[in-house]
Parts: sequence; C-alpha cells; structure tokens
Amino acid sequence: MDAFLAQLPQQIINGLTLGAVYALIALGYSMVYGVLQMLNFAHGDVYMIGAFIGYGVMVALIPEGAPLITPVFIIILMLLVAMLGCGLLGVAIEQFAYRPLRNSPRLAPLISALGVSFFLQNAVQLTLTAEFRNYQTELLIPPGAGFDFGDTRLPMTRALVIVITIILMIVLQYLVRRTKLGKAMRAVAIDREAAAMMGVDVDRVIIATFFIGSALAGAAGVLTGIVFTRVWHFMGFTAGLKGFTAAVVGGIGNIPGAMLGGFLLGMTESFAVGFISPTYRDVIAFVVLVIVLLVRPRGLLGARIPQKV
Amino acid sequence: MKSRKLMLILPLFLLVLSLVIAPAFAQSPVIKIGILGPFTGPAASVGQEQLNWAKLAVADFNEATGWSVELVEADTQLDPAIAVTASESLIADADVYGVVGPAGSQEVSAVAQMFADASLAHISGSATDPALTAEGNTTFFRTVPTDAVQGPSDANFIYNVLGLTKLFVIDDQSSYAVGLADQAEEAFIAAGGEIIGRESVQQDDGDFSSLVTLIDASGAEAIFFPGQIASQGALIARQIVEQGSDLIFVGADGMQNVDDFITGSAGATEGAYVSSFAPDVRGVATSADIMNRYIEQYDDNFTSFGPPTYAATLVVLEAVQRAADSGNLSREAVRDEVAATNQELSVLGIPIAFDENGDVLGASFYMFQVVGDAFVLVPSGPEMMPEATPEATEEG
Repeated sequence: MDAFLAQLPQQIINGLTLGAVYALIALGYSMVYGVLQMLNFAHGDVYMIGAFIGYGVMVALIPEGAPLITPVFIIILMLLVAMLGCGLLGVAIEQFAYRPLRNSPRLAPLISALGVSFFLQNAVQLTLTAEFRNYQTELLIPPGAGFDFGDTRLPMTRALVIVITIILMIVLQYLVRRTKLGKAMRAVAIDREAAAMMGVDVDRVIIATFFIGSALAGAAGVLTGIVFTRVWHFMGFTAGLKGFTAAVVGGIGNIPGAMLGGFLLGMTESFAVGFISPTYRDVIAFVVLVIVLLVRPRGLLGARIPQKV
Repeated sequence: MKSRKLMLILPLFLLVLSLVIAPAFAQSPVIKIGILGPFTGPAASVGQEQLNWAKLAVADFNEATGWSVELVEADTQLDPAIAVTASESLIADADVYGVVGPAGSQEVSAVAQMFADASLAHISGSATDPALTAEGNTTFFRTVPTDAVQGPSDANFIYNVLGLTKLFVIDDQSSYAVGLADQAEEAFIAAGGEIIGRESVQQDDGDFSSLVTLIDASGAEAIFFPGQIASQGALIARQIVEQGSDLIFVGADGMQNVDDFITGSAGATEGAYVSSFAPDVRGVATSADIMNRYIEQYDDNFTSFGPPTYAATLVVLEAVQRAADSGNLSREAVRDEVAATNQELSVLGIPIAFDENGDVLGASFYMFQVVGDAFVLVPSGPEMMPEATPEATEEG
C-alpha cells in the first residue's frame, strides 16, 4: 500500500502526459470518421511528420547549441509550423488518396490510407534515414525545471504538454460548437446529403476537417518530441494504433469522447505499468478497453448513430 | 593432316612450357587471406572499420616479414545469403589460406559449414553468439568472448565493483537481450545480490516514465538494461534524471553508440555503465604504436569493433607463416596452426590462445563508463584486475 501511495501522484502525471498525446491523435481519427465514416490509417504517420517538422524548426533555430531567439517563441513556432505543415499534408492526402474514392466501396479508401501510411514512412526513411533523432528540449526548457509536491515532481515539459493539449481542446470545442464552420461540420456528420441540400459546401467542410485533425496530430508530434525527445520514421505506427483505440473507446465520431478516451488509455497504461505488470502493459490496457466496450458498445460518449437508409 | 598435327603439338608444347615455367613462379608463391565483412549496407561503418584494421595488420605483417600477402575483400552486407556467395568466392580461390570474419553471428552460422568442408580457418573479431562455437566447428575461431561471458561479467561488476546489491533487470524481448538478462540475473543472485524485479519492454516503446517511477519506488539501486536500441537506453536515463531519481544505469554492448546513447541523452547518461566485448585499445599502453599508425592512416574515430579484427588478421597471418616455415603450406596446416595460436600479447592487451571449440581463452567483457562525450574504460573492472575482486567483495 505504501508503494502504491508513493507512486500514485507520479503515475498520474505520467498517465496524463501520455494521455494528452493519445487524445490529440484520437481527435483527428474521430473527426474524420465523424464526417466521412472512414478510418484514416495514415493519421499516425501525419503525427510522425509533425514530429519531424518540429525537429526541423528546432534545429534551424538552435544552430550552434544556443537558441537564436527566446525558447518560448521557438516552442510556439515549432507548434505552429508543424500544425500548418501537417494540416496542409492532411488536405493533400484527402485530395489525392481519398476524394477519388469517396463514392467507392468503403474498403477502397481504407486500403488507400494504408498505402499513404507506407508512402510517408518510406519517404522519411529514404530522405532522412532510419536514425533516431532527439529533440534538444534541454536547450529550450532547463531539465531541472518543474514543480515539486513533496516526493512528486511535475517537470516543466510535462506541465507544458498537458496545458497546451487542454488549450487546443478548448479551442477545438469552441470551433465546433460556436462557429459557422463547426455547425456545418456537425451537419455533414449527421447527414452529408441533407447538409449539401441545405447549401453546405461539403467539400469545403471535409477539407477543413482534415486540416484541423491533421494539425492536431502535428501538435501531438511536436509535444511528443518535447517530452519524450526521440523521433523516428516508424513512430507513427504504434501511436496511430493507440490514438485509434482511444477514439473508439471514447465513441468514434465524438470529439469530447476522443479526449476522454485518450486520457483514459494513457492513465490505464501508466497504472498497468506502475501497479500490475510493465511486461503486460498493453494486454492490461486492452482488457480494460474491451470491458469498457462490452458495457458501452458505442464507446463512453458515443451517441446512437441513426441508420441511414 | 598438317593442321591436325599442329593441334596435337601445340597443347604438348604449352604443357612442356608450363612445366618449365611453373617452378619459377613457385619460388614466390602468391599467398592471400580473405576478409568477410559488411563493407556496404546498414552496418557499413562497422565493416569499413574492420576492413581498415585488417589492412593495417596485413601491412604491418608484410613490413615485418618482407612477404607480400594480399588481402581479398568479400562484402557480406550483413546478409547471411550474400555472405554465402562471398564465402564461395574465397573458398574457390586456391591461393586463400585463411579468412578473417564474417562479422555477424548470423553470417557465421550461415557459412561455417562451407568453411569446415573446405578446411579453411576463419576467425571473427565480432561474432559473439555462444551457439557458434558450441556446435563443434573445427574451422571457426574468434578473438572476442561470447555473450555467455557478458551477462555474468556485468552482474559481477555491479555487485563486486559498484557494490550494489539490489538490481532491477529489463529486457527488450529480443533473443539477445533476454539471454543476457537471464544470465546476468542468475549470476547476480549467485553472487549474493537481490533481483528486485525483471520486466520486458518493446523495441518500439517511446516512453518509459511509468516504468522508471515503478523502479524508483521499488528500492532498486540500479537498472540493468541490455537492450539493442541504444536510444531507448538514453531515454530511460533521461527519465531517471527527469524524476529526480538516483538510479544507476548499466547497459550491455548494444548501448555502445556515441550518437544515440551519449549525444542523444543530453548528458543524462553521464556516469552510466556499458559493457563491451573488447577493451578500448586507447587504454592499452603496449598497443600505442599500432593505434597511432591506425589514426595516421585512417581516422581517430574508431570503436571497439576494429581492434579485435586486427588481432584476428594477425592470428591468420602468423598461422600462415608458421605453416610455410614448416614447409607445408596448405589450408589444413594453416587451420592447425591457428588452433595452436599462442600470442603472448595481442593488440587487445591480452594473450590470445583458443580452446578446443575455437573460443578465445581468458577473454572477458570490459566495462565502460560515460564520461563527457566518450566511453571510458573502467580501470577497476573485475576482469581487468582479478586481484581486486576479493577486496571489493568484502566491501560490498
């Protein structure tokens, strides 16, 4: 019990950090599914590209081991450039790989997505090699910086990741709930044809959805780089799988559900490692998720989807 | 009719001519030795380094003896299938009397039988899988110790030299890491230490913070992680620092990568330990001449993969020399001479002789500590100074 209490606060911090990254990835999956009912399996690799874009910006602005401008601006710039780059990448993927197949059987865009995923991984491996790169986070945020609560330590990097994730989620909620674009997105999600007949520009909404979802994946990539430092060409595979799982558990198509699912998955993994068995982390995490889905087959916040006839 | 006569006479003439000329060539026979290594492909940096050290050994030998032995290069690209074709070309060349390599254990296991059939000795300077010599090859030798030595060496180092009694062991589910972790665990318990926990991670894991929290709270003093991905070791070290823990990190030869383990950790691995199958010859005073020649001719950025190949090349060359001196230069004779090798002092700072399986006698793994941006040999390692061990045991 003592060991449990000694670890508990630190494991919560670990789980929140991991969950924040999963949640940001899950959002993109969920949004695209909500609008198009398709699984964008290239999403994990968009996240990987985001991590590399952030890395590129960082290297460009820290040429000789000394940052050119204030670290805060570098972090903001890394996030913005990666989000913009990934957003455009997402739009391009939609344009070339999914749009021509929009009215094909549902398996066709799925296969196309896998193709895009392989393409992105191999393109990065060929151009940047398979080496591991490390974010020089220590030059932006001093390694010792953080908040101490007794024996527990909330490092500045993790605080930053959690705060930025929450900010992005609030902005996203505002966008979806309070703006015209958000209203159009919700309309397309409910019934694409009816929305089109009501004068909603469906193509524009789909492009916007891909842009926002991919931008969030880009942010997740940069945040991963900042807190876990390592980036490599294959990092999107596992992360994409975890993000997808989080989206399903939260109720795919549901935005607050994706956030909840991400944090739940991160926390479950962290607790599985800390209190049950590190070796069986994924097994335990997935057993918990299966139980959640048995109790709530549409996910935690999944709404009853009206059958389209 | 005339043309038919000519056709008979011409070959006869050529035959006689060759019989007359051949002895003239025989007075300076062409002697070649081969080298198998990954000179291109994913492990090209290792292969090129081994090739350079082998070239240096041949040049040193030729200069000392006045001979002109040739080094035949055969590229394996670290691929067992390519190693087979490369080996065939060396075996087919009758002037090749001995071979250095191949570099990787999987390549050795692919080609060992071919060399055994050809009675051609081959000596690797980097293949450490214990199974290779356990199968009873008569032609395979190596100048590096096996992984069966590495696990116990690491465990004894942690217990006897570092004086730590509580160890947490992690593997990355690769057969290499699981085997090493098992052996280290066994030896650590046998030495009197306590294994606080043993867990596995995956090679594509990108976060170990929960594991580090668990280990920090478990009362362990050190983590032994013999993984293959050096940058994962660096991340574990980073997260130990991040959580303000004072756990000591010990890795195996998979961690010995300056870019990933030292530079990539941004100082978090400072003071961490890794084991390696060869000493750093920079610390071997008697090898200073050889090392300086290498730095002069090639580069000063060599790793522990190179010098054991220099040693292996010299073993082959000296065996060829002894066989030739006894008047019986044949592949069988060279193989017997390799088996009878008895070098008092090799470039590695230790004597080289082989046991009946072809494993080098008395070789051990060496511990390095990260100091600044380099791996520095730990001078008080139990294997380097055996007399220091009992004393350290009392302290521990």
